[in-house]
Amino acid sequence: MTDRTVVNVTCLGCGCACDDITVVVKQDRIADARNACALGAAWFGDGAVPAETRVNGRAASLERALTEAVRLLSGATRPLVYLAGDVSCETQREGVAIADRLHAAIDSLAATAAAGVLAAQRRGRAGATLGEIRQHADLVVFWGVDPSARYPRYGSRYAVEPRGVAAPQGRKSRTVMAVDVGESRGPADADGRVAIAPADEVDGLGMMRAAVQGRAAEADARFRPVVDLARRMTKARYVAIVADSEPGPTPADPSRAEALATLAQALNAPTRCALSTLRGGGNRSGADAVLTWQTGFPFAVDFARGYPTYDPRAGAAALLGGGEVDVALVIGTPATLPVPVATGLARVPTVVIGPRASAAPFQAAVAVDTGVAAIHEGGTAFRMDDVPLPLRPSLEGARAALVTVRALRDRLGA
Amino acid sequence: MSKPTRLRIAGGTVFDPANGGGADGVVRDVCIEGDRIVAELPASAPRLDARGMVVMPGGVDIHAHIAGSSVNHARRLLPEEHAADPVAAPRLEDGAVARSGTGGTLPSTFATGYRYAGLGYTTVMEAAVAPLAARHAHAELDDTPIIDAGFFVLLGNDDYLLRQLAAGEAAQLRDYAAWLLGTTRAYAIKIVNPGGVAVWKGGGDRRNVTGLDDTLGSTAVTPRKILETLAGAANALALPHPVHIHCNNLGQPGNAATTLESMRALAGQRAHFTHLQFHSYGGAPGKGWASAAREVIEYVNAHAETSVDVGQVMFGPATTVTADSPVEHLLYASSGRKWVNVDIELESGCGIVPYTYKEKAAVAALQWAVGLELFLLARDPWRVVLSTDHPNGGTFLSYPELIRLLMDRAYRDERLKGVNQKLLAGSALLDGLAREYTLGEIATITRAGPARLLGLKDKGHLGTGAEADVTVYANDADRAKMFATPRYVIKGGTLVVEDGQLRRAPAGGRLAVRPAYDAAVTKDLKRFFDQYACVAFENYGAEPVA
Repeated sequence: MTDRTVVNVTCLGCGCACDDITVVVKQDRIADARNACALGAAWFGDGAVPAETRVNGRAASLERALTEAVRLLSGATRPLVYLAGDVSCETQREGVAIADRLHAAIDSLAATAAAGVLAAQRRGRAGATLGEIRQHADLVVFWGVDPSARYPRYGSRYAVEPRGVAAPQGRKSRTVMAVDVGESRGPADADGRVAIAPADEVDGLGMMRAAVQGRAAEADARFRPVVDLARRMTKARYVAIVADSEPGPTPADPSRAEALATLAQALNAPTRCALSTLRGGGNRSGADAVLTWQTGFPFAVDFARGYPTYDPRAGAAALLGGGEVDVALVIGTPATLPVPVATGLARVPTVVIGPRASAAPFQAAVAVDTGVAAIHEGGTAFRMDDVPLPLRPSLEGARAALVTVRALRDRLGA
Repeated sequence: MSKPTRLRIAGGTVFDPANGGGADGVVRDVCIEGDRIVAELPASAPRLDARGMVVMPGGVDIHAHIAGSSVNHARRLLPEEHAADPVAAPRLEDGAVARSGTGGTLPSTFATGYRYAGLGYTTVMEAAVAPLAARHAHAELDDTPIIDAGFFVLLGNDDYLLRQLAAGEAAQLRDYAAWLLGTTRAYAIKIVNPGGVAVWKGGGDRRNVTGLDDTLGSTAVTPRKILETLAGAANALALPHPVHIHCNNLGQPGNAATTLESMRALAGQRAHFTHLQFHSYGGAPGKGWASAAREVIEYVNAHAETSVDVGQVMFGPATTVTADSPVEHLLYASSGRKWVNVDIELESGCGIVPYTYKEKAAVAALQWAVGLELFLLARDPWRVVLSTDHPNGGTFLSYPELIRLLMDRAYRDERLKGVNQKLLAGSALLDGLAREYTLGEIATITRAGPARLLGLKDKGHLGTGAEADVTVYANDADRAKMFATPRYVIKGGTLVVEDGQLRRAPAGGRLAVRPAYDAAVTKDLKRFFDQYACVAFENYGAEPVA
């Protein structure tokens, strides 16, 4: 195999899904992932993945593994399918088809952002694709998040630094404000910052909304800084509020997500505003999109009645925790599984098909290693803002997740 | 090689307006071999007894929102609708794999395909896809069975186009449009509120444009200029469907003036004006509403180059989902319902508000009446075709009810009595419009007309060589019942509905164009992308990359 360079590669290391990575391959290993941040470089690694197929911990043929997977899954009374990270939308679509056929429950990594999704289902949302924030935002408010930790290139590629059609000077055309919510601090290099205690956060957002709507009572001193910020926001031309949808140091509060959503909506009366909700990587936004178009629901879907139903309180973690599930199928990288899900899976026979399946943190009944979407396999993935991107594989040789999951689907008659 | 499937649909009353036949239809056989209509078959070919039944080409929907990022945002917003309308997987013949889903105003993809087919529709155009999300729309259409589908790609608020117009580089925009259609695998050019969405996205004091001659930054950039440029491009490229226009000022009282001005701006060249009902109001902002349907449809009647679909409002639940995001903000502010807005980088917008049209609400009653007036005062059914702008004015499942309103005056008059009369003073409906559509005219506005307007030569008719898309209805005086439950539906030669039951669900086909263009435009585009876009030029569009 020859050394090569693949350009315009999409990275799934975080939800930014930067598609400007140049992957340099030497001797069948990734020697460099140019333009990638540290997190992205670690995600690509050298591209080496295990290529094992195991049944109950022992090496087996793919034929044997699929036969055992079919035996387990078709014999299950309460199967669960889980879409984990690092697979393409095309593979996710096969996974949903399997769940439909098995009358299984299905959930995905998209559930980690449940608070934000549920808030949007109750109230809607005022949003924008990341590139539109780049074009127009003159005031960017980071609400209790510094994206440089978990979304390293968010600032340099999207919201802050680059020039936009209405931000000709890039960073200099914008004001950046940090809101520090207790220990959840905004960027260190913000132009200004205000602080609010975590216990006051939801009330503070409500005060801000009241101020935006011109119905503010005299604010308590605790809320004065954020209320002043709200007034400043109404005077901007286009405001972006950036908040993290993924779990952080403090547990996700559903009312916080709703307060952020409604503040951003209210700001669209006096000016324009978009709420940018940060989401993690591995194409979890793709799982959300695929489940939504195939079932009408974004996560925590159950086909038990022969059609999809939705109970956000009965996602994978709850079903596993309650001891309901008797067999599970994980599609994707098991290391991306949320801890409660991984813990629950350790207690039931689980089929894992995906990158590094054989290195699952629990003993899988069947483990079939595959390549990683965007490294070994093409297809489509979604950025955190639901923009679809093509995947350009740079390495050959790994077993394709799509083909493997489709083979399982065919054997299950789905 | 297996022999092509043959089927003789025998003895039905055939309504095939493209090939004559008139209002009463013609009793004849329709013969199918493989996926095409043929002139004759041997007597031994399998027969489907259609005596006493009504035979039409498969339905063609010229404008609906069924797939893509905006539709999926709307689906995600409405879990309560989906929970209330579960769709079990249909039991297909020979145990073929079928998929479950959910309905509501925005059904899941599989349910969309099954339900359209169950209604006798075999071709549907998704009416608004942002180029950035084209790949997503294709993925959803891949999961939408049975129906052939394509989409209209959004242009007219995109920064590249506005910039070229400002620079006086309109000539290059034809190549740009051609490139964009090809790279997104789209079927036609869609303009939504030309310039208005760009103004909304830009922030600041202005929220929208108010008319054709508002300027955007440069005096060279106006809604009029955008319309002229893109209509000219579509016609110069000889696209099968001309530019598909959602005018400025949708839903505003007094907007008929803008609509007529837009039509006049493009007089003499082909242009399609969509969901005309939402653009045919008299009155003035802040001073009340009235019908201006007669004025608008008289213009259409007199101009053979102009075509429209009606965008009828039907009473009941709907969801407004459109690229016209400033309008959705107004609807959010006035309705207090939940609201989604998504500004789409460098090209378009998306706004969503769930909505219910109530008989007792004055504006909804006016909208309902305006749509019916447009239908009933139209002279040429080939150019005034049926739509509800699904799911904006009502869902596609309400088409049978709409057909009944058009065919049954007594029923219509009865319904009219039950609606709020407050704004109906100037409506022609109150003058006692006696017209009743014939079955031939219904076949025209739901099949032959839309197919011809879309330039789909092998669809919408039953002549030799046409695609074998056929719907067979049991004749019933209750036209709503008749059109809701076809007895047989044949798609591409496959019997998909049999005795009213969905029995087969083949994959649908994709309709797309790929006009030629001068590749020099891509150099300039690449520069623009490198400067402003945050998706690589090479990753844009919907072409396979690996």
